[in-house]
Amino acid sequence: MKIKPVLTVFFIFLFVSARAQKNEYSSLLIKDSLKENANAVVRLNQIDILISSQRNMAINSTRVITVLNEKGLSVIDAVENYNKKTTVKEIEATIYDGSGKEIKKIKRKDFKDNSAAGGSTLFSDSRYVYLDYTPTQYPFTIVYESKLETSTTAFIPQWYPLSNFFVSVEKSVLNISYPDNLGFKKMEFNFVNFNIQKTVDTSTQLSYTAINIPAQKQEDYSPSYSSLFPKVMTGLEHFHLEGVDGKAKTWKEFGQWYFDEILSGTTSLPEGTIQKMKVLIGDETDPIKKAQLIYDYVQKKSRYVSIQVGIGGWKPMFANDVDRLGYGDCKALTNYTKALLEVVGVPSYNTVLYGDRQKKDIESQFVSMQGNHMILAIPNGDDYIWLECTSQDAPFGFQGTFTDDRDVLVVKPDGGEIVHTQKYIDKYNSQFSSGNYSLDANGDLTGEIDIVSKGSQYSQKEPIENLQPTEKEEHYKQYWNTVNNLKINNLSFLNDKSSISFTEKVQISAVNYGNLLSGKMMFCINAYNQYTGIVKRIRNRKNSFEIQRGFFDQDEINIALPQEFSIEFLPTNFELKSKFGEYRTEFVKKQDNSLVYKRTLFIKKGMYSNNEYNEYRLFIEQVSRNDNAKMILTKI
Amino acid sequence: MTFIKGLFLFLFLGFFSKINAQNFELGKVSIEELQEKEDPIDSTAAAVILFNKAQTFFTYDVNNGFSINTEQVFRIKIYKKEGLKWANYKVSYYVGYERYNDDKVEFDDCVTYNVESGRIVRTKLTREGKFNTSINKYWKEASIAMPNVRVGSVIEYRYILKSENIVKFPVFNFQQDIPVNYSEYVTKIPGFFIYKAIKRGTFEMEFESEIARGSISFANKNNITKTKVVSFGQVNNRYMAKNIPALKEESFVDNMDNYRASICNELEQTHFPDERTKDYSLTWEGVAKNVFDYNSFGRELNKDDYLEADLKRIISEVNTQSDKLDAIFKFVQHKMNFDGDHSILTNKGVKKAYQEETGNAAEINLILIAMLNSAGIKADPVLISTRGNGVPVYPNRTGFNSVIAAAEIDGKQILMDATNKYSSIGILPLEDLNWTGRLIKEDGGSQEINLVPNKASSENVNFVGSIDDKGKIIGQARSKKTDYEALSYRERKKLLSNDAYIAKTENALGGILIENYTVKDNINLSPSVIESFDFVSNNHCEIIAGKMYINPLLFYTDTKNPFVQEKRQMPIYFGYPRQMKFNINIEIPKGYKVESLPNPIKILAKDGIASFSFNLQTEGNKIQISVLEELNLAMVTADYYDALKEFYQKMIDKQNEKIVLTKI
Repeated sequence: MKIKPVLTVFFIFLFVSARAQKNEYSSLLIKDSLKENANAVVRLNQIDILISSQRNMAINSTRVITVLNEKGLSVIDAVENYNKKTTVKEIEATIYDGSGKEIKKIKRKDFKDNSAAGGSTLFSDSRYVYLDYTPTQYPFTIVYESKLETSTTAFIPQWYPLSNFFVSVEKSVLNISYPDNLGFKKMEFNFVNFNIQKTVDTSTQLSYTAINIPAQKQEDYSPSYSSLFPKVMTGLEHFHLEGVDGKAKTWKEFGQWYFDEILSGTTSLPEGTIQKMKVLIGDETDPIKKAQLIYDYVQKKSRYVSIQVGIGGWKPMFANDVDRLGYGDCKALTNYTKALLEVVGVPSYNTVLYGDRQKKDIESQFVSMQGNHMILAIPNGDDYIWLECTSQDAPFGFQGTFTDDRDVLVVKPDGGEIVHTQKYIDKYNSQFSSGNYSLDANGDLTGEIDIVSKGSQYSQKEPIENLQPTEKEEHYKQYWNTVNNLKINNLSFLNDKSSISFTEKVQISAVNYGNLLSGKMMFCINAYNQYTGIVKRIRNRKNSFEIQRGFFDQDEINIALPQEFSIEFLPTNFELKSKFGEYRTEFVKKQDNSLVYKRTLFIKKGMYSNNEYNEYRLFIEQVSRNDNAKMILTKI
Repeated sequence: MTFIKGLFLFLFLGFFSKINAQNFELGKVSIEELQEKEDPIDSTAAAVILFNKAQTFFTYDVNNGFSINTEQVFRIKIYKKEGLKWANYKVSYYVGYERYNDDKVEFDDCVTYNVESGRIVRTKLTREGKFNTSINKYWKEASIAMPNVRVGSVIEYRYILKSENIVKFPVFNFQQDIPVNYSEYVTKIPGFFIYKAIKRGTFEMEFESEIARGSISFANKNNITKTKVVSFGQVNNRYMAKNIPALKEESFVDNMDNYRASICNELEQTHFPDERTKDYSLTWEGVAKNVFDYNSFGRELNKDDYLEADLKRIISEVNTQSDKLDAIFKFVQHKMNFDGDHSILTNKGVKKAYQEETGNAAEINLILIAMLNSAGIKADPVLISTRGNGVPVYPNRTGFNSVIAAAEIDGKQILMDATNKYSSIGILPLEDLNWTGRLIKEDGGSQEINLVPNKASSENVNFVGSIDDKGKIIGQARSKKTDYEALSYRERKKLLSNDAYIAKTENALGGILIENYTVKDNINLSPSVIESFDFVSNNHCEIIAGKMYINPLLFYTDTKNPFVQEKRQMPIYFGYPRQMKFNINIEIPKGYKVESLPNPIKILAKDGIASFSFNLQTEGNKIQISVLEELNLAMVTADYYDALKEFYQKMIDKQNEKIVLTKI
């Protein structure tokens, strides 16, 4: 047994830490370079993972954190999740003051114990214990120790030596020991520029030590921290998940296991429902059209209810049960849709992924249990159609911004496969506004406009239709917040789910839109679509920056000017091209005291370096300045 | 059980007239209800409660005494998918008692109705849709997920909540976030108890009351095969309301539940035969005595040995009463750390709290009061209700959830709350600014205390700037915030780094560049906050056709009316009156002269609730602007909404009028 020395070291450590004065915890010993930008300093974060067999893993953590101020409190993160398969063996904490003198011991019974249910989860059999500590002084140091034991070896905690922004690290250690016959594997990410040593790497043991990592600042438009900060993923080829053994070297094998051991036997349906589906599709033969009918049926029949029981939330509820109850979570509803499609001869596959507005891939180079969401894939030639089964109104095959453009795992009867989902890039995420407004001699505005949105802009706009009247009003007053005294006179929508476009038809009025002063009227020409977002100035930006989704706006507005006035000043046409996108405005004067305003704004998806951020800021500043261009009229 | 013997003698005479139940009974869903596509009254409703009936009644058990049982029944029609959330329902219940058994919740008769091929199909909720979760040490939650619910369904559910804690009935809400067609609440209260019904909201409801005969049966203690029946007089109250509109969220609201139509009953007195009448909270005197009777209040307040040594040290070098007060308040505020628990009773006790330097609101402020008294400054506890807890309506004990301190020096009363690191003497945490509190004395004396500040908190902004011929503006600004404006600043700032705060301020001030930012923010020296910085602005002067256009308030110009709704249901809450003052001095570029200035103006909102005055003048190449905005009340009723909205609009319009400069 190689794990023994680790344990011994650990116990010595515990014994020593039981004494009241710990000079090494004094906050005075922290280097200045680690205090800079830091709300807390990780003095030591040691995670010892002991895998004794395919069905047994112990996770022992010792964290020594010096919290410098209130903002650093969350770094302690003294919380452990547990369930039927994972137990919290020990959990305790000791608090030391700034000089290292012990001021409080917190035993397990003083930790709080809560259900994981709450929010959108109606029921869960998972719970968590956590420390609710009211600090009496800053800085203080906390020594937190926990020991967990679990039979689930399918998830080995990922190692993030730097767990968050505004935290520095003196020392962070990972020790994993494992039998040599379980196919242990690892993968390292983003080690460059960080002081991380691999200290042991044998057939039964792996250790890393990271030291002296200064605190990192959080910056707008940064890529997700998992792609900035160092990380180690580890896993087993022979693993165990809630009573089920598994074995997989490749995604194909992994998918095969998932299909055979977890998903199989969950899709049977009552005879009545089978007949009903056959009647529903009639003599339709096209698989996609059949799928559309089935998807519509599921959307009308079911609702999303999150109930998390057993098997780590990985096994779907039986299709039979969903059929009877009419509700389920993402796995249940996906699996139910699959069962219905099966009945009418349309193949489809459960698909595991990370559902999040911030795009996140299944790490394709590392075969392991990943993801937090499930959708359904229907093969369509060489491609797939993706169905979000938790939504009662998503258009067929539309992914919106929650599951688009990322690597996912498609689970087929003959194995798994990594596939990239639909990208909605740049020009496809469009908004076309066409309309008019007129101004009278008092500067009062009346106008109407049609706004057609597609792609990711469809996802943003489509929910407006279902808002309550007061919320709709609030939305438009926010959307047109540059128009004072705005009144919405009429409002209608057209949600075309077949072409996935959403049209808003709005009639508005606003008194005093034009500013009158001594016989002149001044107003902003772009009444309907001003880009008012400001990109914050960030001094000494460190991180690269990312525009996750591009978009394309086009506006064409007819403007009728009051007859009593003539144009004194009209801005000149403007054009701006950069690597980030393009912007163009055009003012076309017409005979009858009217003009046409044309505008396009195109922003590209992209990843840029830290130095380019300021350029982007200035690009956006120019856009918003020109969007605010004013026109001046003189009374005749 | 002495009182049981006398029960027979204790009879109210009365008639039990059966309350007309109309057709609001579970199980009688009509096909019309199922086929209806939208609510005839509110076509936008996502779901409607067709009826909600509840009753609270007493049961008796030889071992555990009386329990209150509240039965709730609902029939709900789902019109839109957003209404589907009503198909899941949760009831939390308390299990953290020391003296009672856990509360219990039981769901039954839960059915979903749908129309399939023209016929009504019923789906009953079975065990697989019922869940019970232990949330934490104190609370459990019973929940249901109704089966087969879709747009168009009608669902019904019923549950009974049973509790041995009879001090307070569960709050019954007539009004919900969706419309309620019919709502009824019945209480059946045996004559041994007197409850005060506390009604909230402005919605009119009907009320009937009658004296009836009630009875309880229970097993005889000595002979369990025999059942004893006891009958007594009972008061039956019935409250009823129809077509109650949905209560919708609005901005500037202290606590929505203050305005929701609801009823809550709180125990006032018990008078069991052969026992002395026991007063719970009929009068303020009763409330005061009652609170002081608790060991974890009265006795805690009178302990002071633990703090003598510290006290001596703190006040050894100060002489006047007010300096002592100041020193003691700061000491307690600094030493004690609030654990986040608002409570009128102590939890671990003042001594232990003092030792550990953490405590709940009662512990911290009772320590403060004890210290003040010990130093010869008269101080008393004030029971308050925090904003999250709602308005305390009548003399009652359960309406309050926190304690603060009131000291008296030279006949002047001073309020303090040492739970917050940013509050100061006379300046309470924002959460405390809620209607009135009650100062209580051990002898039963009490006094109403206004918690809403009368004095305006202010922000004064002074800045000087100069414009160059490219329209760039550079200058220096200085802002001073007092009282609650300073407190709000500190609360906002507390979780932000200096950099993040500056970046946020730059954004809020129209993207100016801030340099040399300094702030004087030391609550021990002064409750006020003074910030100063240099600024550069590239986008607050527009050059159009050779002329310059400038908003007089530059980057402090308000552009958005905070009131966007057309109609208002609830009063408008600001927390405290406020005053904002600007003194601005702008130097215009060489070669330019002022062509026109906006006219000075004074705007007064209805009944003087707000005012705005705006003055400009030129002196050589300088423009001086002085602006005063005042909001004179902490809260105004919804009647003032239109006036307030109009006031803001006029003010914003004025702020957006331009100064025009032309070339000489």
